[in-house]
Amino acid sequence: MKAFEMRLPASLEEAIALLPTAEGDESSRLVAGGQDLLTELKHHLVEPERLVNLKSIPGLAGATWGSDGSLTLGALTTLQDIYEDERIVTTFPALAEAARSVASPQIRAVGTIGGNLNQRPRCWYYRAEEMVCLKKGGRECFSQFGRNKYNAILGAGPSWIVHPSDTAPALVALNASVEIVGPNGKRTSSMQDYFTLPSSGNVLRETTLAPNEVLTRITIPAPAKGSKSTYLKFKERSSYDFAVGAVALNLTLDGRKITAARIVLGAVAPTPWRVEEVEARLIGRDLNDETIELAREGALAGAAPLSENGYKVPLTKGLITRAFRAISRS
Amino acid sequence: MSPSNREADVVWKDRKDLTLLNTDQVRLDGPGKVTGHALYSHDIRIPNMVYARLVLVPYSRTKLTKVDVAPAAALAGVVHAEVWDGGKEAVQFLGDDSVVAVVAAETPELAEDAARAVILEFEPEDNPMVTRGQVTANDAPRLRQGRRGGPNVEEDGARGDEEDVLELLATADGVVEQDYSVPIQHHVCLETHGCVVHLEGGKATVYPSTQMVSDSVGMYASMLGLSQRDVRVICQNMGGGFGSKFGAGLEGLAACRVALAVERPVHLMLDRRQEFLMAGNRSGSTQSYHAGASKDGKIVALKATAEKYGGMGGGALPTPPYIYEVKKRYAQVGSVYTAMDANRAMRAPGHPQASFGMESVVDELAYSVGFDPLEFRKLNLDSEVHLRQLDRVALEIGWNEHPNRKEPGKPDADGMAEGIGFGVSQWGAGARPGAHCEVRIEADGSVTSSVAVQDLGTGSRTYVAGIVAEELGLPLHGVTAKIGDSVLPSSVASGGSVTTGSQAPAIQDAAVQARRALEAKLVDAIGGEVDAFTWKNGEVANADGQKLSFRDACALLGGETLTTMGEFQPNLHSGGAHGAQAARVRVDTLTGHVQVLKMVCIQDMGLPLNRAAVRSQINGGMIGALSYGLFEERVLDHDFGFMLSDQLEDYKIAGIQEMPEMVAIIDDDDDFSTTKGVAEATGIPGHSAIANAIYNACGARVRHLPMTPDKVLAALGRS
Ligand SMILES: Cc1cc2nc3c(=O)[nH]c(=O)nc-3n(C[C@H](O)[C@H](O)[C@H](O)COP(=O)(O)OP(=O)(O)OC[C@H]3O[C@@H](n4cnc5c(N)ncnc54)[C@H](O)[C@@H]3O)c2cc1C
Repeated sequence: MKAFEMRLPASLEEAIALLPTAEGDESSRLVAGGQDLLTELKHHLVEPERLVNLKSIPGLAGATWGSDGSLTLGALTTLQDIYEDERIVTTFPALAEAARSVASPQIRAVGTIGGNLNQRPRCWYYRAEEMVCLKKGGRECFSQFGRNKYNAILGAGPSWIVHPSDTAPALVALNASVEIVGPNGKRTSSMQDYFTLPSSGNVLRETTLAPNEVLTRITIPAPAKGSKSTYLKFKERSSYDFAVGAVALNLTLDGRKITAARIVLGAVAPTPWRVEEVEARLIGRDLNDETIELAREGALAGAAPLSENGYKVPLTKGLITRAFRAISRS
Repeated sequence: MSPSNREADVVWKDRKDLTLLNTDQVRLDGPGKVTGHALYSHDIRIPNMVYARLVLVPYSRTKLTKVDVAPAAALAGVVHAEVWDGGKEAVQFLGDDSVVAVVAAETPELAEDAARAVILEFEPEDNPMVTRGQVTANDAPRLRQGRRGGPNVEEDGARGDEEDVLELLATADGVVEQDYSVPIQHHVCLETHGCVVHLEGGKATVYPSTQMVSDSVGMYASMLGLSQRDVRVICQNMGGGFGSKFGAGLEGLAACRVALAVERPVHLMLDRRQEFLMAGNRSGSTQSYHAGASKDGKIVALKATAEKYGGMGGGALPTPPYIYEVKKRYAQVGSVYTAMDANRAMRAPGHPQASFGMESVVDELAYSVGFDPLEFRKLNLDSEVHLRQLDRVALEIGWNEHPNRKEPGKPDADGMAEGIGFGVSQWGAGARPGAHCEVRIEADGSVTSSVAVQDLGTGSRTYVAGIVAEELGLPLHGVTAKIGDSVLPSSVASGGSVTTGSQAPAIQDAAVQARRALEAKLVDAIGGEVDAFTWKNGEVANADGQKLSFRDACALLGGETLTTMGEFQPNLHSGGAHGAQAARVRVDTLTGHVQVLKMVCIQDMGLPLNRAAVRSQINGGMIGALSYGLFEERVLDHDFGFMLSDQLEDYKIAGIQEMPEMVAIIDDDDDFSTTKGVAEATGIPGHSAIANAIYNACGARVRHLPMTPDKVLAALGRS
């Protein structure tokens, strides 16, 4: 990889001052656990002159619980610390399951939640240095007419990447929000709005984050009474793999009756893919096979597969079925 | 003495007398490997060494307009930068031909910087020539030019009478007419290809990662312009070869050229991407079968047309039918050449491919005439050994208690289904002449067994000591094994699973000679007759029960060192390995995920020299086949002629969570008077058994590898 300077800022302000101001300026990059960024550096996808290490800034790691039962996670909290926290496991199973499903134990031990949410796509073309695709400033998304087994079936175009993060769909399902700090101070965003589609956002990025902003905290509101959540990830290879399909489900039940629902699909769209119209149709219905079918068919109704990824439709339907059944049984 | 003189006179001990061979022995190289002390070619460090690196153009076909190494040469720490082979105008295929420059620098990092500093200007051709459609297009150029030139699609010639076969097929009770395919697979050696060349004072020591130590000397000598006498080749540990590491390769040639140019030791190992691009492959194939069976469970006729995809190589595939008996067959096999690296030998070349097509057809035929696929197999196999072995694996996998034996099962309420499948294997193994072994015994009781043979991680080092220890009644650690060095007595290349068949007899020959030489001394000392002493537990006894410790026996040598040289003894080896495998899988019919729950493999090998090592080989064969069956596939972008699966993240191989319960069975009913290699046969039928198990579970016939969820769901009619 190209040689770089590593900076260890003592404060967020210092870190932000070290980041580029102009969109598209890659001369300086944030690094947390480095598990995604290092692969980008090794493959020369980005060649920053300077890395700004968040780990030297105090107070950015760890879980804190609000008196209202909400949870706030510092961006530097490792994935392992998330799923080893008993209270998180029982309160927000979808998040714990998502964190546990990421990569391998080694990567989870150093990979952070902030890095997980801000990691870059895994599309074969994006990851090949020579392929100057749309995501890297080129004119074309090669996966559209090329090899696209792992690419998007929903919400795609003009780029067909899928968002690779496991924790993102879980956090959207749990109605999380994020705190972002930039040169002009703090802003907050819902987790859902943090991610952008290639058709509406900057196609070179996947989020609303500006080059000189830092995602500092994630807050999950206290779960409603009767709410249950789960994250079901499908890996082609169980040992470690990115999702080929995933579903994060957060249901609030009154007896068998669904009173609130959040269904978020992973690995099928350029963002965590929430199916709001389907969620709305579930309200007031009993959790039974008919409802599951409604959810499953509705969630994939708009799918527009490419030449090699049509299987993601039945696969994701299968996962939705399983996720609903898991909640129904729990 | 010539080998034939001693033939029949040197034998393996009787099975009941063996105390070390045919038992579990902890391999001698184990501790070094798990503690990191074992040195591989990658690890060799020589003072003043430079790191060389190849520069590739990673598209299958390009016009080259510029290769400028000057910016690389100008970097501090760069000691060499050269346009490869003086330059060329075009890259003709992805692989060796992609190499356009070589650089060397003081550190690996600087070498990478230097490689990136080389200025390349090129333009990909319109036709990348990587698919069948592309190489058969009207204006497609011939990929193979010159002396070994030929068309891009070439038939090997047909066998059998097509008319006869079609006639029989018209009257068959069950008919299967289907297409099957297997993709191009990679060897995925954990240690990439390459070597370290240390040239000094007109002599060279080369440390290649190689499957042939002895035969490498000549290659490196000619590349370095030296006499063979002045070249030494050392390979103490090997990080995997699987058939891809015989020749020095372009990387070896480049290392030699840089060494000659810079006059310093040179380290040149491929990086992971280069390993995928230019280190060979297991050829893919498409196989179309039209086959028929009779109501009484016999395969009556088979028509097969197949094409091999070995890039610039012809590919490998035995002519169908594979193993099974067929009354009449017509088979036509051909090669499709594409602009990619040539296939290399890989674990039983052609057989795993043929197994997948044939075992699938056999399975489909069985169900088509309402037969239990196990019974059907037995009716169509010729070898008694296969019949016995199939029964054994059926027992172990639980076939007799399995609910769906004549038709596939159905998924349970949660969409899960379990099934069992079978496959058989056959492999030549055998031997090649040329292996030797020197046994030295010192008066203090030290014993050394030496031969140049390489150990690919399969266990040869351990039996180089073990065979001698057995003959002399010593524990394994009573004999020092020296291997992997061309200054030692020469040995054969490790290919075709011949290492054991070739090498073990020579070791036994040296051991028996050494024992007899010691016995000749014992005759004078304690009385008795040569060949009538018992060597056990570190002691030797004559027929009257008079004993000496091994050390005291050696003391009879006085100041002398006893040295014997063993040669290949044909009567101590045999060829023709048989195996059978069964797999039990769970198919998630909602997602298409296949989990292999259990695999069973039985394998014959004559005398097992080290039962633990043999079981490891069997496990390795099953794991390799599982990975081939469920995950592995070379993926290219067909428009660019560009490899997308060029990292281990994208080229998936099975990991720890994919490992099933594995039962490795040594076929103890085999004749133990000879020994044979066991490695390759074990990797032949596992993926076929898995495919058949998937069908047996839920009725999804997956006819194309790898059996990833997209294919399983398609076979279930779900996408
Ligand atoms: C082999 C392998 C397998 C993997 N498998 C999975 C998987 O199954 N599922 C999955 O979700 N991920 C997977 N990953 C991706 C990733 O490594 C992990 O998800 C990890 O959580 C990333 O966290 P990190 O702290 O190491 O990120 P880093 O590499 O440090 O950062 C990632 C990116 O986010 C930016 N960034 C980091 N922190 C912040 C912040 N606080 N604010 C703004 N930007 C920030 C960085 O600039 C960088 O661009 C895998 C990675 C590898 C190498």
